[in-house]
Amino acid sequence: MAIKKEYKIKLVSKELLNADTCYLGFECPEIAGTAVPGQFVNISAGTMFLKRPFGIASVDKEKGTFNIGVKVVGKGTEQIKAFEVGTEVDCLGPLGNGFDFEGFDNVILTGGGTGVFPINFAYEELTRLGKKVTVCEGFRNAQQVILKKEGYVLTTDAGDVGIKGTVIAGLETLPIEDASKTLVCCVGPIPMMKAVSEWAAQKNMKCLVSMEQRMACGAGICLCCIVKVRDDGPDGYKNVRCCKEGPVFDSREVIWS
Amino acid sequence: MSSSLNVNVGNVGLKSPIILASGTCNFGRELSEYYDLSILGGMSSKGLTIKPRAGNPGVRVAECDSGMLNSVGLQNPGVHYFIENDLDFMKESGAAVIVNVAGHSFEDYVDMVTTLAPHKDKIDALEINLSCPNVKAGCMTIGSDPEAIQAITSKLRSLTDLPLWIKLTPNVTDIKATALAAQAGGADAVVLINTLMGMRIDIRTRRPVLTNNTGGYSGPAVKPVAIRMVAECSRVLDIPIVGCGGIADYKDVIEFMIAGASAVEIGTACLVHPALPVKITEDLDKYCEDNKLQLKELTGTLQRW
Repeated sequence: MAIKKEYKIKLVSKELLNADTCYLGFECPEIAGTAVPGQFVNISAGTMFLKRPFGIASVDKEKGTFNIGVKVVGKGTEQIKAFEVGTEVDCLGPLGNGFDFEGFDNVILTGGGTGVFPINFAYEELTRLGKKVTVCEGFRNAQQVILKKEGYVLTTDAGDVGIKGTVIAGLETLPIEDASKTLVCCVGPIPMMKAVSEWAAQKNMKCLVSMEQRMACGAGICLCCIVKVRDDGPDGYKNVRCCKEGPVFDSREVIWS
Repeated sequence: MSSSLNVNVGNVGLKSPIILASGTCNFGRELSEYYDLSILGGMSSKGLTIKPRAGNPGVRVAECDSGMLNSVGLQNPGVHYFIENDLDFMKESGAAVIVNVAGHSFEDYVDMVTTLAPHKDKIDALEINLSCPNVKAGCMTIGSDPEAIQAITSKLRSLTDLPLWIKLTPNVTDIKATALAAQAGGADAVVLINTLMGMRIDIRTRRPVLTNNTGGYSGPAVKPVAIRMVAECSRVLDIPIVGCGGIADYKDVIEFMIAGASAVEIGTACLVHPALPVKITEDLDKYCEDNKLQLKELTGTLQRW
């Protein structure tokens, strides 16, 4: 049964978070009403041929809007950042599997870079659900800190704000009451996610990571955005689709390159 | 959808000329969430091999101006898994079932067709992929050599009475020679064209964007190349042509048909707009109504200067 569609969504708000990152709000009640943390949207980027994937950063079900964060990394994101309020763009979503918090009383959200956007959505949802949630985010320096909320543990490479070091230094300061009831969710650059998954494994905590890969369709049909995961078959691994089976994976399944 | 969209590729009747190109629709399940696949003329499966293939590692897509490079490398679950798990779904979709057959050697293609032949009641045509640029052996190597094309087509012809469509590579000097070789081998149709081999480089790292170094270029940018090849082959072939390459709207379909295509495959554009075939079908319907014609009347009506 045909249930999904490509939406024409309107940009309704735009805020500059730092020199190269902005926070965009789009109107689309269908996406705002059904998205879960960890899911993403694929939106058209001006004159570019392919859409661009962005983790959903927040939803407002009543207003029928959702937010994404866009960091300029190339020609496509440059055009998206230049969108004016009122601009209409093509959008597929919500896409992917999202985080599954079921069965956990405590959730540690950690990450950095553009990973702070999906973490923001997860934080809002977990708070709404009344779960105990701790956030630890890592940045290069104070200027890069965005979307910070009260009570977040921050780390910076420069040490000009929060704890000096990587997110691991921040995570080490967190009291872990019951590892079996604590879930770690990490969204950030690959080396950070790898380090966090190793840290969580040492502490016997389950860790979910949100993988990123160059993507074409976002709909599971082109098999371009693969993630290498463990498999019982003869090869010992298989390539699965980041957009469909992911982007969220149990870190124990991921084969880090 | 009106009957004015009905076309034939040899003895395969299609309710519309729109076929989803191999590698851009998987086996149809994901797209069936976006629209009713029965509006399609056909659907060409993901390229299949005898054994499952994990495909190429790393980065598999590089965006280009008006298109993209891919180097998926024929990731697929293997033909046996396909027969068990996907063939019935394709059959029940209501679109004609085109099974895309790939391989690394002459023997692979023989094994594939021998394996698929007993399921002919569920298959409308076999599309023999002699043109994938993303695997190290087979496919394009065979597909660049007219003698090898004729030999393999003729061998496969002896194994099945299922329609054989030979999908050819544009990465050759003379597309007519390879198309004529397929015809001489007993092909029922040729599919023109697969992707153009290309490369993109990250100027910061001086490394190719694709981990496979090279990939296949597809999208609107390749359409003029495909149109030229369809038009060239249309002059010399007796068998029908299925046109493929850069189609993004109904006018592109008409252009391909005028050039000589009996049907068309749409691929890369559906990666951007999954439900695009719905819009193209509606537009073609309107075009036929406005112009009081049957779409198939357009095939090969090119008026050269």
